Amino acid sequence: MWFGLRAAAIGATSAVTLLVSAGGASAQGQITVYCSVQEEWCRPMVDAFEKETGIKVAMTRKSSGETYAQIKAEAANPKGDIWWGGTGDPHMQAAEEGLSEEYKSPAMAQLHDWAVRQWTQSKGRTVGIYSGALGFAYNTKQLAQKGLAAPKCWADLLSPKLKDEVQVADPNSSGTAYTLLATIVQIMGEDKGFDYLKALHKNINQYTKSGAAPAKATSLGETTVGITFMHDQVTMIVDGAPMKAVAPCEGTGYEIGSMSIIKGTKNLEGAKKWYDFALSAKAQAIGGQAKSFQVPSNKSTPIPPESPNLAEIKLIDFDFAKYGSSAERKRLLAKWDAEVKNLPK
Amino acid sequence: MKTPHSGTRRSPAAAARASVEFRAVTKRYGSVMAVDAVSFTIEPGTLVTLLGPSGCGKTTTLRLIAGLEMATAGRILIGGEDVTARSATDRDVSMVFQSYALFPHMSVIENVAYGPSVQGVRKADAEAMAAETLALVGLRGLEQRSTSELSGGQQQRVAVARALVLEPQVLLFDEPLSNLDAKLRRRVREDIRDLQQRLNLTVAYVTHDQEEALAVSDRIIVMAHAQVAQEGSPRELYEAPASLFVAEFIGDANIVAAEVGAIVGAEATVRLADLELRLPHRGARPGAVRLAIRPDAISLAETGGLAGTILKASYLGKVREYTVRTAIGDLFVTVPGRAEALVPGRAVGVGFTADGIVVLPE
Amino acid sequence: MKRSLATAVAGGWLAAGWVAFALLPWYWLDLSRGLQDFVDFPLGVGGSALALGVAGDRPWLLLLAFPLLLATLALVLPLARGPGGALLTLGGVLGGLYLLAQGFAIGLKGWDWGWLGAAFGGTPRQEGLGPGGTLLLLAFLLLTCQGLARRGWCRGDAFVVSAIGTVVALIALFVFFPVARVLAHAVIDPSGAFALAGFVARISDHSIWGLDCLAGPLRCGVAWNTLLLASLVGVGSTLLGLAFALVATRSNSRFKGVLRILSVLPIITPPFVIGLALILIFGRSGIASTLLAEWLDVPRSRWIYGLPGILLAQLLAFTPIAFMILIGVVQGISPALEEAATTLRAGRWTTFRTITFPLLRPGLANAFLVGFVESMADFGNPLVLGGNYDVLSTKIFFAVVGAAVDESRAAVLAIVLLSFTLLAFFVQQAWLGKKVYTTVAGKGDGGLPAPLPRRVALLAAAVVAPWSVFMISVYGIIMVGGFVKSLGRDYTPTLVHLSTAFRIDWGNHGLRFAGSAWDSFFATIQVAAVAAPLTAALGLLTGYLLTRQSFAGKRAFEFGTLLSFAIPGTVIGVSYIVAFNVPPFELTGTGLILVLCFVFRNMPVGVRAGVATLSQIDRSLDEASLTLGASSATTVRRVVMPLLRPALIAALVYSFVRAMTSVSAVIFLVSAKYNMATTYIVGRVEAGEFGLAIAYSATLIVVMLLAIVGIQLAVGERKLGRRAAPQPTGRTL
Repeated sequence: MWFGLRAAAIGATSAVTLLVSAGGASAQGQITVYCSVQEEWCRPMVDAFEKETGIKVAMTRKSSGETYAQIKAEAANPKGDIWWGGTGDPHMQAAEEGLSEEYKSPAMAQLHDWAVRQWTQSKGRTVGIYSGALGFAYNTKQLAQKGLAAPKCWADLLSPKLKDEVQVADPNSSGTAYTLLATIVQIMGEDKGFDYLKALHKNINQYTKSGAAPAKATSLGETTVGITFMHDQVTMIVDGAPMKAVAPCEGTGYEIGSMSIIKGTKNLEGAKKWYDFALSAKAQAIGGQAKSFQVPSNKSTPIPPESPNLAEIKLIDFDFAKYGSSAERKRLLAKWDAEVKNLPK
Repeated sequence: MKTPHSGTRRSPAAAARASVEFRAVTKRYGSVMAVDAVSFTIEPGTLVTLLGPSGCGKTTTLRLIAGLEMATAGRILIGGEDVTARSATDRDVSMVFQSYALFPHMSVIENVAYGPSVQGVRKADAEAMAAETLALVGLRGLEQRSTSELSGGQQQRVAVARALVLEPQVLLFDEPLSNLDAKLRRRVREDIRDLQQRLNLTVAYVTHDQEEALAVSDRIIVMAHAQVAQEGSPRELYEAPASLFVAEFIGDANIVAAEVGAIVGAEATVRLADLELRLPHRGARPGAVRLAIRPDAISLAETGGLAGTILKASYLGKVREYTVRTAIGDLFVTVPGRAEALVPGRAVGVGFTADGIVVLPE
Repeated sequence: MKRSLATAVAGGWLAAGWVAFALLPWYWLDLSRGLQDFVDFPLGVGGSALALGVAGDRPWLLLLAFPLLLATLALVLPLARGPGGALLTLGGVLGGLYLLAQGFAIGLKGWDWGWLGAAFGGTPRQEGLGPGGTLLLLAFLLLTCQGLARRGWCRGDAFVVSAIGTVVALIALFVFFPVARVLAHAVIDPSGAFALAGFVARISDHSIWGLDCLAGPLRCGVAWNTLLLASLVGVGSTLLGLAFALVATRSNSRFKGVLRILSVLPIITPPFVIGLALILIFGRSGIASTLLAEWLDVPRSRWIYGLPGILLAQLLAFTPIAFMILIGVVQGISPALEEAATTLRAGRWTTFRTITFPLLRPGLANAFLVGFVESMADFGNPLVLGGNYDVLSTKIFFAVVGAAVDESRAAVLAIVLLSFTLLAFFVQQAWLGKKVYTTVAGKGDGGLPAPLPRRVALLAAAVVAPWSVFMISVYGIIMVGGFVKSLGRDYTPTLVHLSTAFRIDWGNHGLRFAGSAWDSFFATIQVAAVAAPLTAALGLLTGYLLTRQSFAGKRAFEFGTLLSFAIPGTVIGVSYIVAFNVPPFELTGTGLILVLCFVFRNMPVGVRAGVATLSQIDRSLDEASLTLGASSATTVRRVVMPLLRPALIAALVYSFVRAMTSVSAVIFLVSAKYNMATTYIVGRVEAGEFGLAIAYSATLIVVMLLAIVGIQLAVGERKLGRRAAPQPTGRTL
């Protein structure tokens, strides 16, 4: 009859259990990793590290934006030790705001230039661990139904036949889409770049909230063309989706997946061990095995065969320092909001 | 010899009945004055009725005794003990609600056993007490019924049994008869009075029905506009109303204008139209006064007395009711039903019996 | 004897306070380190306040003894009730305030209040409150309540004062405190200075309030979008819920049982899944679109992306909540009232229109409010189906975690959203007015519920039937999705997703949960099972206080209970980190913070259900119990709770399920040890692995269905002593 109160009493008792059994991660011999790549990649990475060093890892997986917000909110009393993976912008922002720790790893010499550049531009606070180029993918079935030629360049996406057939995320919410905005501005110059985006606007059926969503929509045929990072498209293609990834002929921008030690970590030594480990070729090879097709930053890491070959893609010289800064970002987004997003179609 | 629950229950005779005393108790809701500096005492073992029209503050007064409302000012004493700040739970007072407030999810016996069981009496003992009390109110055999399967009168008795089972110092009734039909009312009210006298209970009883009040009460407290208008035995109230309001509210008095002449001792000569009566003056000075004349204190004859004309007539079996037009106004008159019928339009002589007429103090 | 009981309770709390002060570990303990913290007891990490104050380096803790002494004096001295209560209250209030003040003033790294540091100097440090600190704080609170009760508050009822005090303190700590910390960003610029001008500019921004859509093909401000959507969802879900509730209680439909399950399914569905299923059915390449295009030449379109899609998904998701609130109310309407109307020559339709429907108003109003607020706070569906239709919740989410992080913008948008909630709350209150909706009175009322008028029955059936078919197809897709290779593309059956998530191996050490989802699955069930009863108890208790007790500030209190519900989860999540990551209340990384977050986020549904049901129950039932010598606590337990069963079920089910399915708030609060199923699922969805996400969701749905059935059985039906409609017995051949 008084189920409610009895249940509440039981609940209260078990709440106490929850409270006590909650182990802090600050104990010696254990580090807390915020992982911002896919779960399948996070887990084997953690296993390998534990095996290699004997240090226990408490791992939490969150997207890079969420992790950034969390680290910022926790700044007064950091709970994490290291932030591994995720697109470079929020790492740069954290570096800019002093949320991450400077560190120079002995493995630095083995890295590609772009990874080291990320490190220098952030004054040693974040380093590149992989990179992925921006591109677009089309649904082969849809394209055939419409009888269209395969698009090869950014310019091809303006074709009137693709009206309402292109999908990309909203740069206000997605780092991917912001990379597109910055890429177009860098390739074409700001004025022409915005003209291009205004013209593209007529062909956009939807600005999605999430950056990778257009890849999925393309695989389902919900849109004919989707603009995302190419490794997201490759994941769909490997899964058997009728689509093809394209590296645009004018050249394209890219992201640098990064890693930062969280400022105020209670376990600096452990964090540094992870840092060094994550830059090793052995650790980076785990990505390909976990179906993540980004290009690793250690020169001697074998590149997965499915990965888009960065050597064959015309990469622009992306200015992460300029386009990663908060001020420039705010300005470009405000301009995009005002001049592109609200245009009538 | 000990009954199974003798440790927790006092026998009716030995039960200590308590008095209830209000000392200048006030209850305000915001700017609304519900009870205004009311003082009275209910003696142990008596049934006192709070009588008044709706909105006069009688139910609030009852709820103040129960502890369901807290006094804004003043003190409340039960059995000589100050309970002003005590909650309902902590007062030894039970209440029978107008709606009965029977718990719909419990059977009859569970309802009645509820009080003892929340006091920590073992279930079996509580149910034995409940069964005993149900027998007392004449509901033996209905213990396992659901409350919705009972008639209105039976539900009312369950409510009484539930309130009685704890043998509270004070028992409160909030318009207990309002949901019953006329015939049942009379019986239930007699039962309540009988029970009260048998168990020597202290009872406060709220009603707006003056006949009910007169029938059951040891004393009546008439309330009007959040204050006590008059307190007294039924007879005192009927025969000596302290105000126009009480005279009108109890016993349908005819209010007429008159003139007080000479005062001799306790009595005065009162001139009513062309009649002269000798009545207790009750503090009135010579000059204009108002009289309350009970309808049964007026007699109708062929001629003589005050001249009048029958305006309306109705036959109620036991009595006949007439409205008579006279020089002092329209009078409401009752005469025994066996008397000869008088048809409207007929001229009559109106006479008065002195003991049914009172001078109203101004 | 009853006097001494009250004294005993107060004495008990006083004793608890002394024990907390003198014996228990004062600071937060990390028990994963075992008992090493107690090596130096009573000093050291696990030391008590008294010991650390006298012998350690934390002398400020000693001052806590004075308010405790005051309270002791109040109970020991032969004082009259009033003055004794005043002294007790003084001790409790002083103690509580000083305890909080020292906790906030002295933090991990020294003085947090600079001006105090300037006055006293030095760098004292301390950790978050532990068992001792928390218990003493609670003791001070309850001693204050006991004192106030002695001074005659709430009719001198210590239980009621304590309940109000506790609920208010909890809401202040776990709702107002964190939310205020985040919303403060709205008027504070990045450098930390107060900036009102910036706030005014941001809150009057064109992107929020623009009305361009009225004039041409442009978009309207996000505020209008949200308001439109929330109103449509509020009204729509209430009407659908009503139709379901009427059919489920008042018709002779054989499908009642199915209906009940069906109406509950959507709330037990993890987010994204409904949106995804809708795309697979109504998307441009969806099943329905394909059929229409091939058979009827209806051109394919993307109508699902935008307002229609979100509306559809939210109606699917929130109708069940409306249903659960309304079903209790529909059951509670006294048949006698309807019978009365019938005897007054009212036809069935008139009876329904003039009696039944008006009596449903508290239910309708509460259901609307919940639907409205849920729609505004929902962010999963707009995320998947929003298209170019922006709403506040997604805007806020991306202002917190998006490419352009802007806390002040997030705070401003949250304030706009909150003001809409406030508006809805007042509209609801105005519509309900001061009428009386009591239908369960203490007078046993027999009678049969009036059958539905034909018009209403037909209408309800016409709504319920297609909606049920629609839901069955949505769930068909979802169930299929977890067991085919790739939903929408390759329908080869497979168990691969399920085994990835929930594989169990027989290894050398026996059973091993090898699937990748097991950890989050167990953590989720544990957290949900703890949170649900606490949520229900707190919610219903609050509902009871709101309907049965009168006290100053009741309206503000009521609104406060709605606050956490109305704020988007993202904001709550961040606010919890900001507020509970540092002493004196350091909870991040524990399972408790998840439980607390769920309890205070989902409590409003318990409150609304409780308020709606209690407003039907005659107050004199409670009063009868009180005058029979039952305490308020006993009355709640023995009279109110049994009559509240429908509300209890609603609250339990809802809070259990929401703890298993909510995402946005939780994303910031999960830790390695306490990862939640939904964050795992969202990760899968982000990675495009819908098969795995759906297989996991399907498993959760099954678990939750079992839990709901379990809750129904455990709580049981409410007995109202009413006659049931005669069942047709015997079958004619």
